[in-house]
Amino acid sequence: MNNSAIQTLEAAAQMLMAPPNVVSPEQRHQAESVFMEFRSTKNPYELCREILEKSSSDYVLFEAAGLLKVALVREWNLLTKGDISSLREYLLNYLLRTDTPGFLREKLLQTIAIIVKRGSIEDGRERKALLGELEKIILSSPISQQKLACSLILAIMQEYAITVKSADVGLIWEVHFRLKKSFEALDLKRIFRFTVGVLEQIIRSGHRPEGEQALLTKQLLTIVEMVLCWSHVSPLLSKRLIGAFEAIYESDMAPALRLSLNWRDTIMQPELLALFFEIHMYVRSNPDLAGPSLTCLVQLASLSGGVVSNPSPKQQYLENYVNGFLNMMMYIQPIEREMLGISDIYRRLIEFFSAPMIARTPPAFLQNLTSLTCHCIRASVMEELVNSDETVYRESLNKFLHSWSSLVHETNGYSNDTLLNPCIEIFNTYLQCRLAPPDGTRGSEHSDEDIKDELEEDERKLHSNILLTIGAIARKAPAHCSHVLFTLLRDRSKRLESQLHLMHLGKLPVSGGEQLVSLFEDLHWILMITGHFLAIDCTEGEIVMIPSEIIQYSMREDADVDASLRFLVGESTNTDNVDPILKLLGEILRISAWECAALEAGLGNVFSPELSATISWLLKIWANSYIMPQPSLYNEMAPMLEAAFGRSSRGAAWAVARLAARAGASLRHQAAQPAAAHHALQLLTTLAQAHRKQNPLATCEEFLALLQWEAAGCNLSGNLRKELHRAFAITATYAEGEARSRLLSSTAALQEKLFNIINMDSDTEPVRNMLADTIDCFIGVTEGVLEVGTMDEQFMMLIGALEKMPGIIYRYHNYPGVVLPALNLLAKSAKRMLHSVHPQNANKFLEICNTTFEVYMRWNSGKISSIPQDAEEEAYEDICALMEVICSIARSGAASSAGGERCAHGLRLLLPLVTPPLLALPALAQHAYRMLRDLDAAGQLTSLPIEDFNMVITALRVGLTAVSCDVSTLCCDTIVGLSNKVRRLGDDNPYALSLLTLAELLLMLIIKMEIPPDSIPAAGAAIYSLTCVKPALLEGLARQLIEAFAANDPANVPRLEEAFGVLTNGVLFDGLRPHRLRFQDNFDKFLASVHGFLFVK
Amino acid sequence: MADIEDTHFETGDSGASATFPMQCSALRKNGFVMLKGRPCKIVEMSTSKTGKHGHAKVHLVGIDIFNGKKYEDICPSTHNMDVPHVKREDYQLTDISDDGYLTLMADNGDLREDLKIPDGDLGSQLRSDFDSGKELLCTVLKSCGEECVIAVKANTALDK
Repeated sequence: MNNSAIQTLEAAAQMLMAPPNVVSPEQRHQAESVFMEFRSTKNPYELCREILEKSSSDYVLFEAAGLLKVALVREWNLLTKGDISSLREYLLNYLLRTDTPGFLREKLLQTIAIIVKRGSIEDGRERKALLGELEKIILSSPISQQKLACSLILAIMQEYAITVKSADVGLIWEVHFRLKKSFEALDLKRIFRFTVGVLEQIIRSGHRPEGEQALLTKQLLTIVEMVLCWSHVSPLLSKRLIGAFEAIYESDMAPALRLSLNWRDTIMQPELLALFFEIHMYVRSNPDLAGPSLTCLVQLASLSGGVVSNPSPKQQYLENYVNGFLNMMMYIQPIEREMLGISDIYRRLIEFFSAPMIARTPPAFLQNLTSLTCHCIRASVMEELVNSDETVYRESLNKFLHSWSSLVHETNGYSNDTLLNPCIEIFNTYLQCRLAPPDGTRGSEHSDEDIKDELEEDERKLHSNILLTIGAIARKAPAHCSHVLFTLLRDRSKRLESQLHLMHLGKLPVSGGEQLVSLFEDLHWILMITGHFLAIDCTEGEIVMIPSEIIQYSMREDADVDASLRFLVGESTNTDNVDPILKLLGEILRISAWECAALEAGLGNVFSPELSATISWLLKIWANSYIMPQPSLYNEMAPMLEAAFGRSSRGAAWAVARLAARAGASLRHQAAQPAAAHHALQLLTTLAQAHRKQNPLATCEEFLALLQWEAAGCNLSGNLRKELHRAFAITATYAEGEARSRLLSSTAALQEKLFNIINMDSDTEPVRNMLADTIDCFIGVTEGVLEVGTMDEQFMMLIGALEKMPGIIYRYHNYPGVVLPALNLLAKSAKRMLHSVHPQNANKFLEICNTTFEVYMRWNSGKISSIPQDAEEEAYEDICALMEVICSIARSGAASSAGGERCAHGLRLLLPLVTPPLLALPALAQHAYRMLRDLDAAGQLTSLPIEDFNMVITALRVGLTAVSCDVSTLCCDTIVGLSNKVRRLGDDNPYALSLLTLAELLLMLIIKMEIPPDSIPAAGAAIYSLTCVKPALLEGLARQLIEAFAANDPANVPRLEEAFGVLTNGVLFDGLRPHRLRFQDNFDKFLASVHGFLFVK
Repeated sequence: MADIEDTHFETGDSGASATFPMQCSALRKNGFVMLKGRPCKIVEMSTSKTGKHGHAKVHLVGIDIFNGKKYEDICPSTHNMDVPHVKREDYQLTDISDDGYLTLMADNGDLREDLKIPDGDLGSQLRSDFDSGKELLCTVLKSCGEECVIAVKANTALDK
């Protein structure tokens, strides 16, 4: 019987594997169904054994191994202990005596591992015995069997390592976790000690690791690596946190080596560390072995946890480690592939051992770190030049700099004196690599190559990670670094001046040539480094302070205030007794002035836009912390900086005016250079945002001149103008009195422009372009309104424009280029202002929205009524914007009754769109279901008429079947919200009846695992809250389901009944937290058991 | 873009130029531009530059608004490009003549019979929809002296 079955399978396998010209689709289909049936065979163990013994078809062997695994999980409870252990023994024997191909071996090893894991639920005795057996094999059997035993140990460890994501072996997470903990406590250390012992023997034997021996060594190393990378999770953490932890475990970044006290006898042995360094030196020439051995060293560098809770053994361990490490570094010259590991060793040591401990290590430790960092700086710059995808040195450098960042910021570690010379060495090396000869070693520029210039590849961002730390390192040696930077800046600014001068006189060709490009590149780098030396590159979020090292340095220098200020504003070029910080800034402003003069003189096509962007960027991050620093934030403040840029100084207003003038010149002349214009605008926005009250920018003539320039029709593109209006609006928000009204006039001028365009009564391309640009500017204004206190006033300035939007949408309905900005403006205004404007104003706005809905529908009802099959997401951006408007009205809570009506109205118009084809457009679907959830949160859905409510339910029915986790979670959340509201109305209410129709679909989707895994918790919550509406619901559904099973699959009926019993066990459907949580626990158990035996994946 | 007063706003019929100039950096995605002498809708816009310190150039990819062909061009961002005047109007379809001409009615009731049924799938769909008695709205695109039906939609406004 079995023989014929095997023959059938083999024939089907041949059919499946045959090329398409030999078999017909029907034959192939038939062959497929043979295997589909095979996969659901019950009690297949004998059959599978026979296949393994007799069949020679790889495909059939593979299917048999897969079936064995699945059947074991499914039928575990039906099998006797004897059956299981004989199966395990058979499989192990089978593997030992045959030379199985890799694909089959892995599958069978995993099956054994699952048997071992499930068999250890009661106790770990069998596992212990098996491990003993495997150890014997490794010590005394032929090498091929040794390798197999290692593979099995690895498979078993793998099976125990992961808990959160291994739900498909039919156990609930709590059991997985308990098993992992017991494995950890009983066997992990034993495996480690045994494997390390074997490795030691191999090394002592003195043979080079080659051929089979190398493969075995690799497997042993992998086992040790896995033990050292094991995620020792505290049982006190929640499942979600453990899940996050295990996700890290699965990624490249291993968690720290966190061991409990009972590892002390093993891990604290000095010989152990020495052995690991020895192992690495022994295997490092073989890349396959060097990887895991270096990882072991990296992991050992992060020892923490109970085993080193006392400082003294911890210090001892560090000493042993560092000695071993330095000893190894004396013998080896690290090669490229080792660099990442070595940098990681430093990073981990400095992270996991306290700063005073690190400071007590031998001097060679710091020297090595310094020279390795410098080596990586040079090599990473070379790497950039070659432009290859290799970034080993760059990544290593990042890690080294990570260590440096800790060292220079730690106050109780190395003294400043100890760090001074290493810091100077690193700073000098970096600078040299970036400068052209003779000062540096930079290679030549490739000037004729086309390079992409998207903003995400912004030079200043690309290098900011590295430069941030180089800046911090430089501030440890401020005297040296500021002197070097000033000398370089002064030299380059003189060269720039003379070059530009000669060009202006026509004595030098305007093309500039290589020399000029090299000068630009030098300046670009010097300025980037100077920027990071002076200030921290962060203009969003918290207030950024002047670095304390800079303040202290300026105080120590104690220069002459008058001489310094005269140098700063350019009245003198004498640097005697000038404060070093002002000296740097004075020179930077001089370079900025040269650039502006060149632009004004028509040399804009010569000057580098990249350098222009860098100058604006530097001035931006400098202004962010230096202009008018808040005294209350600082423990100490340098009198020089206070005198130059403090609140009461004239220097602050002077500097702001200089920077505004610079940004203005840059915008006027470099509007067509994206990077330069972008950074000039950022400079303006930072100046607008940074100082709030008494902002000198509000009264700055240079800034107000920009206002007029814009009103007179500047040549900026729409996006830049939008940003400019944003800067105006921000400044106006904080300004007072006349300054404020002058600034607000920009909005008035914009409005007048809009009215003019509308009145022109012309429907041509330039008019439409102008209209879209102007509406975009209004969006900029809306984004700039930040203060709640002045919102009504600014809203009144906007309302005139907002009132025109419905008319514009009506008139230009055929031009999405106009309709989309108009809808976006409404959405932005609703989002940013509606929540805090006066109810009267809010009502006006709601009226506008209402008219907009009407007008939009007048032209687009066809678009709403159905989604064509080939629809593209882009075509629905306008509808997304409409949905945003509705969401914002709902969230704002504005004028609740009127707002509610508008929402309902908008919803009614858009609901016909929510049909299955919608799910093919992810962004639109997400907008639609977020709108439903927000409306529910605002209590709007349950006040809809029942017909509309039914449409909402239909929409949710569609959304539940979505493949996207976002959409299905949003639907479940909405169901929870609706249930809580509907419950109060009673379960025979039409709303409740309508809502409850979702329960069956939801339960079926959950059981069939057709809901995205990440939405499962939300789905459980939805089932619970639906049952709260009608407590008999779940029981009814369960009965229905069981009856359906009784017809097709009577064997599973009792198990299904039992599972439903578990689900409702001890749960009251009262909607309160304790029972909700208990239900969630039960729900997990329910899923584990139902999916275990139904296995309908 | 220049000030409002500086811009000419003739309609396409008055013999004025079929295009107007615009700085390349001010063009928008989904806007229109002339590429290789054809009116195109911009579907892709990216910037690049020659060397790190070079000036920006705009790379444009456009689709011919009449025949759907793809064109590309690259131009310094400070230069001007020609932008076509484009007009888009909806007409109600009232009849199709035997020789393939459409009878279209504008919003104001004016009739025109100078446009042929479009080629390809759109044309056959138009004909079959019309034959099955659907009320149809034809979107007519006009630019650079060319004019043609580019989309057909069901006229739901009539249902109300």
